[in-house]
Amino acid sequence: MDSDNQSQEAKLSVGLEEFNFDIVPVIYEIFCSIEKDHHDNSAKTRESQDCSQKVLELQKRLDQARAEVNLLPGIQFSKEEQLNHLEALKTQLRLKQDLLQRHRFVSPFHKP
Amino acid sequence: MSQLSTKQKLLNIIDDIELIAKELIENAIAPKANKISGQEYAQLTELLVAKDTELKDTLKLAYEQGQINKKIEVVKAEVEKQDQEISKLQKQLKEAEQILSTAIYQANQKLQSIALAKKRPVSSEELIKFAHRISASNAVCAPLTWQQGDPRRPYPTDIEMRLGTLGRLSDPVNGHILQQQSSMSDLHRSGPAGEVPASNQNQFAWHPSGEIHISVGQGTVAMDTRNHKQETEDVEVMSTDSSSSSSSDSQ
Repeated sequence: MDSDNQSQEAKLSVGLEEFNFDIVPVIYEIFCSIEKDHHDNSAKTRESQDCSQKVLELQKRLDQARAEVNLLPGIQFSKEEQLNHLEALKTQLRLKQDLLQRHRFVSPFHKP
Repeated sequence: MSQLSTKQKLLNIIDDIELIAKELIENAIAPKANKISGQEYAQLTELLVAKDTELKDTLKLAYEQGQINKKIEVVKAEVEKQDQEISKLQKQLKEAEQILSTAIYQANQKLQSIALAKKRPVSSEELIKFAHRISASNAVCAPLTWQQGDPRRPYPTDIEMRLGTLGRLSDPVNGHILQQQSSMSDLHRSGPAGEVPASNQNQFAWHPSGEIHISVGQGTVAMDTRNHKQETEDVEVMSTDSSSSSSSDSQ
């Protein structure tokens, strides 16, 4: 099970390696900086600045994820609909090949 | 019922994660009086983790759909190729149909003309006889020995016309005319151009005006020479002028 999960994750990383969907770590970092209790005022100010920057980064990460989702190919339909579409195309291809085969090599003296 | 697309699912999950994260952060920075209970906080956190897991699973599904999409593209290209072949075949069949319909139409016309000809058959011997008669006057083709300068023409010349029935109507002495007619026919049958038999030289005489005159009976009649053009009166005069002859003469 673990090896299957790992291979699937490897495949996912190879296919979508340019995309970054890790949002939870950013949220975790925000909470870490919120929960830090500094006695020094300057450190508190610095920490709050870092915190606001991390919040902005979270927002940016979320927008980036949405943009990347829009770029992914083949997800306009659900998986079942996509498989049905593929089957229909295969049937169409088979029918057209049969049609060509029947009409291209017809002998003038052959009655079908 | 239409299923939700994978894209829409992913976007919904991202929106949910954003909402949960906002809720958690607002609760973390809120004053103690406004904070939610620890249990609710834990539930929100679990929900966030579940949404993240769901996001990862949906991304795997999106990857699989991407692979299926590649297969779809390949099959679509094949279908496109077959479409082009079919339209090419259709064009060729249309052309063949047009050619065949033209051939059938022409064959039908030929059959009709054959049926029409069968109704009134003509013997080939009769056709050949008529062909000989038509070409006997040399109107169809020049005689094999014909050269430039030969006075013979494919149409009756003025000499022949004057020696014919219409020309002899005004002449009372028939015997002289008959003699000259036979001598004229000898002249007509002579080979080389311009050669006049010795016995008929006295019939042609040069007039002081420069015209050749032929003695017909008791008088003389002016002859149309090659370079002389007569005015047409009531009857069109046959001219021996080579410029007015047909193009077949020059061949």
